Amino acid sequence: MQRIIISFLAIAFIAAAGCKKDNYEEPKATLTGQIVYDKQPVGLRSNGVQLELWQHGSALFTKIPVYVAQDGTFSASLFNGSYKLVLLRGNGPWVNNSDSLDVTVNGNTSVEVPVVPFFIIKGANIGQSGTNITATVTLQQVNNSLPLDAVSIYLGSTTVVDQVNSVAATSIAATDIPNVTQPVNLTVAIPPSLIAKGYVYARVGVKTAGIAESLYTMPQKIELK
Amino acid sequence: MQKTYKYILLGLCLLTTGACKKDWLERQPRTILLEEQVWNDPKQIVALLANFYDRLPVQTGLQDINNNGDLDGRIAQWRDMANFDDAMWSGQSNEDGRNNIPAYGFDNWRLWNYSFIRDINLSLENIAQYGARLTDDQKKQFTAELRFLRAYDYFELVKRMGGVPLVTKQLVYDYSGNASPLQVPRAKEEAVYDFIASEVDAIKNDMGNDGSVSRANKYTALALKSRAMLYAASIAKYNNLMPAPISTPGGEVGIPASRATEYYTKALEASKEIINSGVYTLYKVNPNTGENFYEAITKKSGNKEAIFVKDFLTPQKRHWFSYDNIVRGIREDNLGSSSITPSLNLVESYEYLDGTAGALKTRTADNSDFIYYTNIGDIFANKDARLYGTVIYPGATFKGLPVGIQAGVMAWNATRNAYDVVEGSDLNTTYTDGKTLTGSSGPHRSIQEVSNTGFYLRKYIDAGARTSTRGIQSDIWWIWFRLGEVYLNAGEAAFELGLTGEALTYINAIRERAGFGANSLSTLTLARIQNERRVELAFEDHRLWDLKRWRIADKLWNGNVSNPNAMVYALYPYRVVRAGDAARNGKYVFVKMIAPRFRAPRFFQLGNYYSSIDQAVINNNPLIVKNPFQ
Repeated sequence: MQRIIISFLAIAFIAAAGCKKDNYEEPKATLTGQIVYDKQPVGLRSNGVQLELWQHGSALFTKIPVYVAQDGTFSASLFNGSYKLVLLRGNGPWVNNSDSLDVTVNGNTSVEVPVVPFFIIKGANIGQSGTNITATVTLQQVNNSLPLDAVSIYLGSTTVVDQVNSVAATSIAATDIPNVTQPVNLTVAIPPSLIAKGYVYARVGVKTAGIAESLYTMPQKIELK
Repeated sequence: MQKTYKYILLGLCLLTTGACKKDWLERQPRTILLEEQVWNDPKQIVALLANFYDRLPVQTGLQDINNNGDLDGRIAQWRDMANFDDAMWSGQSNEDGRNNIPAYGFDNWRLWNYSFIRDINLSLENIAQYGARLTDDQKKQFTAELRFLRAYDYFELVKRMGGVPLVTKQLVYDYSGNASPLQVPRAKEEAVYDFIASEVDAIKNDMGNDGSVSRANKYTALALKSRAMLYAASIAKYNNLMPAPISTPGGEVGIPASRATEYYTKALEASKEIINSGVYTLYKVNPNTGENFYEAITKKSGNKEAIFVKDFLTPQKRHWFSYDNIVRGIREDNLGSSSITPSLNLVESYEYLDGTAGALKTRTADNSDFIYYTNIGDIFANKDARLYGTVIYPGATFKGLPVGIQAGVMAWNATRNAYDVVEGSDLNTTYTDGKTLTGSSGPHRSIQEVSNTGFYLRKYIDAGARTSTRGIQSDIWWIWFRLGEVYLNAGEAAFELGLTGEALTYINAIRERAGFGANSLSTLTLARIQNERRVELAFEDHRLWDLKRWRIADKLWNGNVSNPNAMVYALYPYRVVRAGDAARNGKYVFVKMIAPRFRAPRFFQLGNYYSSIDQAVINNNPLIVKNPFQ
């Protein structure tokens, strides 16, 4: 009996000791940041856009993917050190920029990642009109290397609203927008499931042809009348 | 002392004289085959070829192998059939992730099996170097076969990755400290397709193997060319019709639009050479058109339609596809079944025989009431016979047994003036009236290994006795190429070249076999051809690649829950219990719904058109250009 107890104690001791040794320390520093154009945050699809962090000098040279939230912010837990932050090509609704951003992480670090979008939404008036949600959107073309694909309005029941997470949506294709500088009017019927809730979250997105992701306004809560 | 010395001397003498015997030390090793032995023995070369044939990659197939990457490059993942819009996963719930893919990863469908390419290159060089005792014809044939296998693998690579390094010789390191001669840059996408075409042209007359379906012959090579040229042509045409074509500056991805006509012409010529040879004919043996289509895929004897297959003859080589996918109610094992279940989306893409669109009629025209069917299978009457040959639907039979597909009953509630939907908590349940509540094969909303869509797979499922047991398993072959596809390739190429009359003869021949009358179509659109390929070639590993080359995958599967093409739908049949209404009581009604176990809409992004290249490959070879969106 005693022997069993002793051996259990020994196993417990070994197990406890094993927990301490040979475990890596977790990364303590946090890199936070925001994607901006003209000092303004860029609205995106939740978890749609990815940034890459690379660290030279380690044997395993592979990227650390960093997903961007819908308000353009991102964060990653890292070890202190110097990293290169890269915009994934053709991923976000902005002009490709192969220049990497040098980031030195020391404790909690914050960076701003400037981008040049193809289109931005200068203003979007979203409101209820009867059983519809209407929006008047003013676009501005920042870079004219790629044409417009579509302008869309998305409705959802939570703050996470985008092309993928939406209950109702309407799009106007670029062919129906003769002049990009003129305001674009969008109308979408409020689906019954949202009428029952009494409010909707709405977002307007502008999609550039050949780019998977759209650029969005920040979600706007509309109390239904 | 002296005696010992004498004996030693005597012994030495004996040994030395013995050693002088000729070739005493020159013996053939018993455990190693020498290069000269292998490359001069046709039997050993054929054994090696068997290994190479077995290593041809396929995305779905009938097996479960994944040695992609630096191992031997085999890949065959039948479960991937559940990842698109033709089917969903209804098997064991630990694979339910296939119904909940937030977005296809950019590394999906990646292939980089240069270990296979290297083994073929090595064999080609060794046959030339050592195979002195082979006859010229043998040498020619083996070389041609190896080059076919290599061309096939390059086609698998290019359709997934875009242009890849064209390595046609063994790469050997010279220990100079400089590895740059081994670093081959990516070829242009069009160059890889051109390579496939020129290889086929060079070898097709040396292939031999006439009449064989499991070893490649002249027509196998031409079938590869027919498909590859069609892919190249449609990428040339449709990529450049995108608002922003997907391309790299060096042409590793993207084919100039100017080459489309040339590629379509080559695809049509190769297809016609197969069709006009008369070696193959569309399978039309069984007068029952539905059974006939099932047999066209699965029947091995007297099948003149199959051009190239992966056969599973010996008991050790059989596969589990029938065990995993047979109808729940007639499974012969105590586990397994029902994994890949076809979607209503696919079922509705089969037209009615009168040429009308295939949407099933479940509600009256004014949507006020159900349509009541006397027999549960009546709703599928007069559908394209390929539906029967591909999908097991309510009211159909398999292995001569009826499949009990019924979701529950619709019990009339007079106080509410509406139906109460009653579904069993288990299979094989009985309603209070003593008749079936939920059938032996479901569908059921939540039980695993029961169809969630209301349909089961028939194509590629073995109808032989006990083939769905783990002990026996199935020997159904996998079709790489069959004449049906070649007809569709010819039809599409001719249509794109403006030869609509010729295209119609090919497409109508395929439709006639499916039970449509002769010349059922008189006009043709690309959408028609796209649908024809979907219904004819379902589950034969075409859908994903077809949608990619037409550049419509990102539109069809746009990740939006309100897009019916991105969601997987189900059809649940119910028996009506409505005493006092003889016109409705005991009849069957159907409800269309999003499959209950299906969670996330299919989401194919622009970055999925070309799979990303592994970072380890780029680290090893800095000349490799990344794919767009990578």
